[in-house]
Amino acid sequence: MSAGAPGARGPMLAVALLIPIFAVNALVFFWPTFNLFKMSFIRGEATGALTDETTLANWTGLFRDSFYSELLVSSVTISLVITALTLVLSYPIALYLHRARGLRRTVLLVLVISPLLTSAVVRTYGWIAILSDGGLVNSLLKALGLPAQRLIFNTQGVVLGLAEILMPYMILALLAGFGRLDARLEEAAATLGARPRQAFWRVVLPLSLPGVMLGCLLCFVLAVSSFITPKLLGGGRVFLLATEIYDQAIVTLNWPLAATLSMVVLIVFGLALALYARAARL
Amino acid sequence: MNRRSLLCGVAALPFLAASAMAQQATVTLVAYSGIFQDRYTAAVVEPFMKANPDIKIVYAGAPNSAQMLGAARAQKASPQADVVIMDIAVSKAATDEGLFEKIDEKNVPNVADLYPNARSPDIAGVAVTFDNLVMIYNSEAIKKAPTSLAALADPANKGQVAIPGFPDIQGLSLVMILDKVNGGGGVASKFEKGVDAMAPIAPNVQTWDPKPDVYTPIINGQATIGIGWNARSQVNSDASGGKLKAVIPSEGSVFQINTINLVKGAPQAAAAAKFVNYALGPEAQKAFTESMFYGPTNAKAPVSEAAAARTALRSIDRMIPVDWIAVAKVRDAVGEQWRRKVLPLSR
Repeated sequence: MSAGAPGARGPMLAVALLIPIFAVNALVFFWPTFNLFKMSFIRGEATGALTDETTLANWTGLFRDSFYSELLVSSVTISLVITALTLVLSYPIALYLHRARGLRRTVLLVLVISPLLTSAVVRTYGWIAILSDGGLVNSLLKALGLPAQRLIFNTQGVVLGLAEILMPYMILALLAGFGRLDARLEEAAATLGARPRQAFWRVVLPLSLPGVMLGCLLCFVLAVSSFITPKLLGGGRVFLLATEIYDQAIVTLNWPLAATLSMVVLIVFGLALALYARAARL
Repeated sequence: MNRRSLLCGVAALPFLAASAMAQQATVTLVAYSGIFQDRYTAAVVEPFMKANPDIKIVYAGAPNSAQMLGAARAQKASPQADVVIMDIAVSKAATDEGLFEKIDEKNVPNVADLYPNARSPDIAGVAVTFDNLVMIYNSEAIKKAPTSLAALADPANKGQVAIPGFPDIQGLSLVMILDKVNGGGGVASKFEKGVDAMAPIAPNVQTWDPKPDVYTPIINGQATIGIGWNARSQVNSDASGGKLKAVIPSEGSVFQINTINLVKGAPQAAAAAKFVNYALGPEAQKAFTESMFYGPTNAKAPVSEAAAARTALRSIDRMIPVDWIAVAKVRDAVGEQWRRKVLPLSR
């Protein structure tokens, strides 16, 4: 019954509590990932048949064909653009929500989360209805006597669609990170003579940075791995790692290359996480 | 007393049912899900089960051949499926990996009546359906029926063309047809002339990846013209009340082949072979062609003239022979040209 007893039991308890999640992860994440890693060294025939031989060709091929480096650069670039756009669109909403109280806050929060109740496929089709050649936006442009624009089946469509789909995640991450943001600090800044803009840049924004970083990490990772929306809105013109993995695995039947590209995505994730950890410490 | 014996009887029922089941062989058929499953079940699977009450067929639908291959690979040590219907290029990979049993006249007698191009020494299975590439269009938007692939390059159709592009084999098939028309060297020259001939078409293309398939945007008018597979085009033509129309282009067309395969080490090998024999027989071949307009692979299938006219059966002279296994070897090279020459023209 000494005071030290719970502390001594602490580590054991923590290990015991971590076992289930570790077991689940080992089974559904580490094991398949290890198999993918092995697959990336298997030599496949042109017909898609797998052999028993191992090779480095899948990895060296990535460096030999400039298409794959372009693929990597465009995937990361497009994901960064999507993340930035999502942040810009979500930040004011999150800030407003953070300050709202009572029923208003509850209602707004439900509104923010409600898109997550609909699948991304349905929401993407919604964007097709809005952005297609005969869709809402182009009908409006035509009514105003302006020329119709190609808004989907290109990079622009993918960026717009994914930004909207990722907004709830960004808003929730921002809200979680806004904990240190106290309205009284803004009032203090104002009493000390700061103009609203100064107060925002010098007080609000620095205090909300943890939320911004968390949200950006989450949205970047979701954007790099997103597959359905680029497939539906890309029109076969936007090449991303995730869509290429699908094509290689399902259409071209080159599983070893698909596995290699999956490993590349994993490396990108690792780098993003490392960057985040570094930034979070600053 | 009476009540007790009744209870005993009721309690015994499940056991009686179980012993009846034990005499019934359950064959698992893996094939395409969706409309293929509906029509194939009605035209082939159900009549077979009626004629063979001792065999039950369980149809396990899969969205594409690659997933069927994935399942077959995973179950190699202890197969769960008995029969697989998949695209010929994928069945070649499965054959090379030793997943399938060779089908010939010995285990499946009806093989003797198949068209010569339904059999290949390189694959274990045999062809069960022939499909072919067609040009499809929205007949309300395009009044004058197009006949040539030149319609895809017509400036009047700018931004209205839907083509499932490379690596989809529909885009690949289009390249192969254009290669032949322009005097290209086929596989030997990696279909270079065919890829070059895509240049006037590319600027017209609205999407290279129509979803959920190429037929839907053409029926609802989001696109007006494109390419697709004949069987699904015919079904969609009927379903849309003739809004979508299909035509074999004057330049010719190529066959897409689905093979039927016996899984090596299948749990119900004998019953499975019996089903495969039925599926290749004249009765099943006629029924499925008349239901979904896939060309029959059995030369003796007595297909009605009305159904035959909606397949490639009456246009055999326009069909361009394709060795899909040889094509698979140059696919990456075609893809590279496609990305370099075709896509930049359709931004």
